[in-house]
Amino acid sequence: MSKEIRLAGALALGGAVLGVVFAALSTSDYTAHLDRQMHVVHCSFIPGAEASGDEANPCKTALFSPYSALFRQSFWGGIPISLGALGCFCFFAGLGIYLVLASERAPRRSIELLAIAGLVPLAASIVMFGISLTQLHTFCKVCIGIYFSSALVFAGSVVAFRALGKEKRSGATRPKGTMPVLAGGVVALGVASLLPAVVYASSLPDYKPYLTKCGTLAQTTEPHNSLVKIPTTSPKRQVVLFEDPLCPTCREFHGRLLSEGIFEKLDVTLALFPLDNECNWMLDRAVHPGACVLAKAVLCGKGKERAVLEWAYDNQEDLRPLGKNGGLKDRVVKQFGADMGTCMDDKATSIRLNQTLQFAASNHIPVSTPQMYMKESGDKLARVCDEDTDLGLKYAMGQLAPEVLP
Amino acid sequence: MTDTKKMPQIGHDPTLPAGPDQFSARAQLDERGSGGGGGGGGDKKGPMIVGIALFAVTLLGLMLWVRGSVHAAGDRIEHPQADTSPKVAVADNSEVGYCTPAFKSVLQRVLNSCGLVGTESRRGCQPADVKTFASISDEDFNALFTPLKDRGAVILFDEGKDDLDPDAKKLLEEKWQERKGARYFFVVARASKTGTPDANRALSHRRANSVMLDLQGMIPHDPDIDKQVGLLWLGNEFAQLSKDYCDWTSSGGKKEKCSAETINRSAFVSWVDCRL
Repeated sequence: MSKEIRLAGALALGGAVLGVVFAALSTSDYTAHLDRQMHVVHCSFIPGAEASGDEANPCKTALFSPYSALFRQSFWGGIPISLGALGCFCFFAGLGIYLVLASERAPRRSIELLAIAGLVPLAASIVMFGISLTQLHTFCKVCIGIYFSSALVFAGSVVAFRALGKEKRSGATRPKGTMPVLAGGVVALGVASLLPAVVYASSLPDYKPYLTKCGTLAQTTEPHNSLVKIPTTSPKRQVVLFEDPLCPTCREFHGRLLSEGIFEKLDVTLALFPLDNECNWMLDRAVHPGACVLAKAVLCGKGKERAVLEWAYDNQEDLRPLGKNGGLKDRVVKQFGADMGTCMDDKATSIRLNQTLQFAASNHIPVSTPQMYMKESGDKLARVCDEDTDLGLKYAMGQLAPEVLP
Repeated sequence: MTDTKKMPQIGHDPTLPAGPDQFSARAQLDERGSGGGGGGGGDKKGPMIVGIALFAVTLLGLMLWVRGSVHAAGDRIEHPQADTSPKVAVADNSEVGYCTPAFKSVLQRVLNSCGLVGTESRRGCQPADVKTFASISDEDFNALFTPLKDRGAVILFDEGKDDLDPDAKKLLEEKWQERKGARYFFVVARASKTGTPDANRALSHRRANSVMLDLQGMIPHDPDIDKQVGLLWLGNEFAQLSKDYCDWTSSGGKKEKCSAETINRSAFVSWVDCRL
């Protein structure tokens, strides 16, 4: 049986080492963003390789999703769950090497500990895999590395469990060990999983002073009423959103506002800001070709502007090639009817879109999307900094507009 | 583990394989039986020490690393390094190639003295203003507007008249709607040589006002219009257009053959894509 116990320990040790590496990589990417700057995010099965800041990077999607951290309202960016994985895998590294070295001499309780505790990272990985599948619709390679590591640890658990069963059947004896060994192991696993998070939380700087330093809108209203009012169920705080229907970051931001339960409590005015030089003179090339067509579609929503915008977000992957190669307007017409097409061709729609862009120009906002300006005292509309619309969203809302949080 | 061999061997368990490495473990087993726990022989302690040490050292190291990474991020916020990332452009009105320093300099002077920039007490520029403040020859003044050939249009008037015909209104509306990123809309009204300078000055003034009134009618209550439309009326005293301008986009072109006389019964209108 010693070989099987040794194998169980080796699997746990291997999984743990790999898990520590991937969890550290994920933690490193997360902590890098604590300086409120944009950084590349690693996304490779080879630790350290393939770092990119692309909007389509699945690891970036996962990192900026609401599921990557806990307690986001209390701590800027929240406490990344990868910290729990770090401590957890440290525990399995210790237990794994112990079983490799002690093998046959290891008390039964220590093997039971691996058999039981190995379920913890597996369960966490299954939950996160489910979230990736159903919520994020993308798989981050670093996350997959952690899932694989958890699976290795669990494989160790299975081998350990089978070895114990064999021993029982064969009548072989082994020191049983005490319940405190088992309980102590479980406590050690819990403490190890929590400690990095405690250290992380206690080291975080004070972010409050940085929340309101990103400027204001000089011109708070558009004189031609060309901006779009987006209906929400219980609007409590006025915001102006500058968004591009074909911008992946806008889609993710919109998703974050919805999933955090914030969007329905905002009184949203949408200023369409397509990053497409077909209508936007501020660009010398189209960052999102076809965005002007979709912006016109939103303007032609006639009471269903939110539905059109959300349809565009939901179907970005399909719409983006049409924006590049043509056929985008036909797709819109197919979805929303011929009247929509007529409205999109109307000169008045182009003028309205141009007035929206002039509103952006008058305010000298950065040429980027998304941007959120939130009403403060008086008529002042203060910009919520970019970094506070992603990692720091819930914390920033908690500080600036707690009434919009669920 | 080096301490294994130093530990006393205190028992024997026949169920365990024989051999020096297993001996102390057997001792543990005998010592504790089924209720055995930690402590005991070094042979057992060795793996446990290694396991606990690996666990503790790795965890401690990672915690120190986490703490250091978070502190480093905090330091970067407080003491940001020189930003080497590409600057994000700022939304603004458009600026195209013809906005040369010379063009902008003249435009700025014209705007300052025609009421669009700074004081709002007066609207429009008459020939004397343009001559004085633009400090520019007739030819150079017209040359400034040459790049606007495709952007703008010439609104033609009947002789001695200042009202816009439907064709003129249509063209004016088209040009107004082609704003894109422009900040200013210029109306430069003129009169032909026929008549006295005083009468032509007044006539060109009325023509400029006709254009302005039509724009105001087109977009009633537009608060921006006064800040966007620059009116200049030149009579027949300054910067008369040559026959070369006959091939520019114009209204009413079919009524009368274009000549140096008819082309100056006009108001040139155009958005100006310059930031000032």
